[in-house]
Amino acid sequence: MVKIKRYVTADPELAFAVLLAALVYSLFAFTNPLFFTWNTGFAIMERFAVLGLVGLALTLCIIAGEIDLSIGSNAALTAVIVVRFTDSIGAVNSILLGVSVATAIGLTQGFLIACLRVRAIVLTVGTLMLLRGVALFAADEKTVMLTDFGVPDFIQSRVGVIFSPASLLVITLFVLVGLFMRYTRYGREIYAIGGARKEAVAAGVNLRRPMMIVFAVSGFCAGVGGAIIGLRSGTAQPLGLQYLLLAATVAAFIGGVSILGGKGGVIGAAVGTLTVNILNTGLVFKVTPAYEVQIYLGILLLTVIVFQILSMLYETRKQRALLLADSNRAQARVAPAGRSDPNHTSRGN
Amino acid sequence: MNTALAGGGVDARGFMQRHGVKVFVAAVVLLFVYFAATTPNYLTLFNVKTIIRDAALVGIMGIGLTFVTLSGNFFLLSMKETAALCIIAFALGMANDYGFVISLAGALAIAVFTGAIQGALIGIGGNPIVVTLGAAGILYGVASWWSDNLVISYPRPHDAEWLGTGSVLGVPNITIAFIVIAVIAELALRKTVFGRQVYLIGANRSTGKATGHENLSMAIKVCIVASVCCAFVAVAFSAQLSSAQANYFSSEFGSSGDFTILVIATVMVGGNSIMGGYGSTLRTSLGAIFISSVDNLMVLKGFASGARVLSVGLMIVFSIIAFAYLRRGRRSEG
Repeated sequence: MVKIKRYVTADPELAFAVLLAALVYSLFAFTNPLFFTWNTGFAIMERFAVLGLVGLALTLCIIAGEIDLSIGSNAALTAVIVVRFTDSIGAVNSILLGVSVATAIGLTQGFLIACLRVRAIVLTVGTLMLLRGVALFAADEKTVMLTDFGVPDFIQSRVGVIFSPASLLVITLFVLVGLFMRYTRYGREIYAIGGARKEAVAAGVNLRRPMMIVFAVSGFCAGVGGAIIGLRSGTAQPLGLQYLLLAATVAAFIGGVSILGGKGGVIGAAVGTLTVNILNTGLVFKVTPAYEVQIYLGILLLTVIVFQILSMLYETRKQRALLLADSNRAQARVAPAGRSDPNHTSRGN
Repeated sequence: MNTALAGGGVDARGFMQRHGVKVFVAAVVLLFVYFAATTPNYLTLFNVKTIIRDAALVGIMGIGLTFVTLSGNFFLLSMKETAALCIIAFALGMANDYGFVISLAGALAIAVFTGAIQGALIGIGGNPIVVTLGAAGILYGVASWWSDNLVISYPRPHDAEWLGTGSVLGVPNITIAFIVIAVIAELALRKTVFGRQVYLIGANRSTGKATGHENLSMAIKVCIVASVCCAFVAVAFSAQLSSAQANYFSSEFGSSGDFTILVIATVMVGGNSIMGGYGSTLRTSLGAIFISSVDNLMVLKGFASGARVLSVGLMIVFSIIAFAYLRRGRRSEG
């Protein structure tokens, strides 16, 4: 019990995310007896395989203080490439091709953002459109399809109770990225440029390296996600997957990232994505149209944002009050000397 | 541009920093003029009118968005969704025989309401992109839910015919509306206190705050302006087609690519600073006309939609690169 309490106080955002996931799951589990089954677990994990990677990619970007808007386009482009070339060069080769294209795109974006010193949203709003154009090209302006459905069958086959090859791959990637973020210098640099960019640069972090790593990993994750989506359904639309951005953003914010950057983590991303997936699956159980799901996701996102803003305002107010009390005390002490207090000048931000 | 990117000599680099954007723009214009002159049926009066009419809808929304961008609040990702909700409201009003004025008022009221809420959330410290991404989901969902995702149509001779398909002396009314709105917006930015405040807060938010101009009220105002422009475009579009559906502004329908991104493209290609404080609605209007001219040219040349979407994307990316170099030449960036 004491241990739980320590976990909660150590990371309240994560605790909130886990609580929310459990709440959403039990809400559906209690209202629908069919929900509390292994099959539903499998369905949720299948959704996790798709959204999880994109949520992870966006989480990394937001940790670095940026947002990658082109993530859906990148995933759609990879899906198109993979599905289109699977018949001719085999699934493994086409996945390698698609994912390396996606990674290269991410790497280039990171390079441009660091070099031009523009905000990622500005550049990625352009590449969002650009990559759609490339995807339309790659797909010859139509929906591409597989002819042999052996690969989709393999990807969706059940290994273990609720896992498939796809979801196992995604879980492995989550673990790898998590270890990378936590235990390597490069991972810590990503946190540093998100939380305190100026300080990080002043301390000698080369902005270009973490930025390129973040966007390369983001492109890689979007690529693998797109490949899984494409190969699982056997089809890919060049203008598809537009819903991914909203869903992934919701997942990332539930998972505890802050728009100011430097906060959040891979576990949070996993829990956030799971929450969105449970919500999605549960709503599908109730035969909810896709647009209604969008309403719920939007409301969820805005609620999280409002909470974040309020807590931010509360924090600054508290700090200001502390600072004010400090400076008042200092002033009272040095008042006879009539010295101006340095806190007064540094207080405004 | 290439020499600047590759480094080059010191002098070449300095020259490119000072004049690179001009050289680049000149090259683009020359290329464009060459293709325009060699394409039959392009430089005819009829086609030029078509280009400007096509630019009108996206241009009006772009003008609205320019206010948001100039005030330093980046852009709204909910433009097409706001338009979707407004078009449904307007069409439902028309279909239920409420008449043009009440339907228009309904659409505008919704725009003001949604704009104010988004603006308030942005103003108190929410990231504009994330807030409007969430709002976009809600707005589109509500629009689909309200209309049951069906096409709402109303019989043809209706009160709004003049706005949709009418014309004066051969100039479509929507083109006239585009020009009038562009002039009003430019005057509002240059001559009114509100316009100057937009520039002030966009250029330097802390100075704005220190002089008593909070971003909260400003964000609400500019978001309302942008949303009202969306509502106007929605009404004009619905009047033109005499129908409405929630996905009219989504990528599947008509124009190339994503409508919101197209609107953002007009702002960026026009050469407005995306960080705020620098630019004008005139630039946005010209950006819209430029994008529309290139699009029209590509249609006449027989390009498929992939190439057209790609060209808009390239225009955005190049304008970002050009702007980054221009800014680096002028002042250092922290």
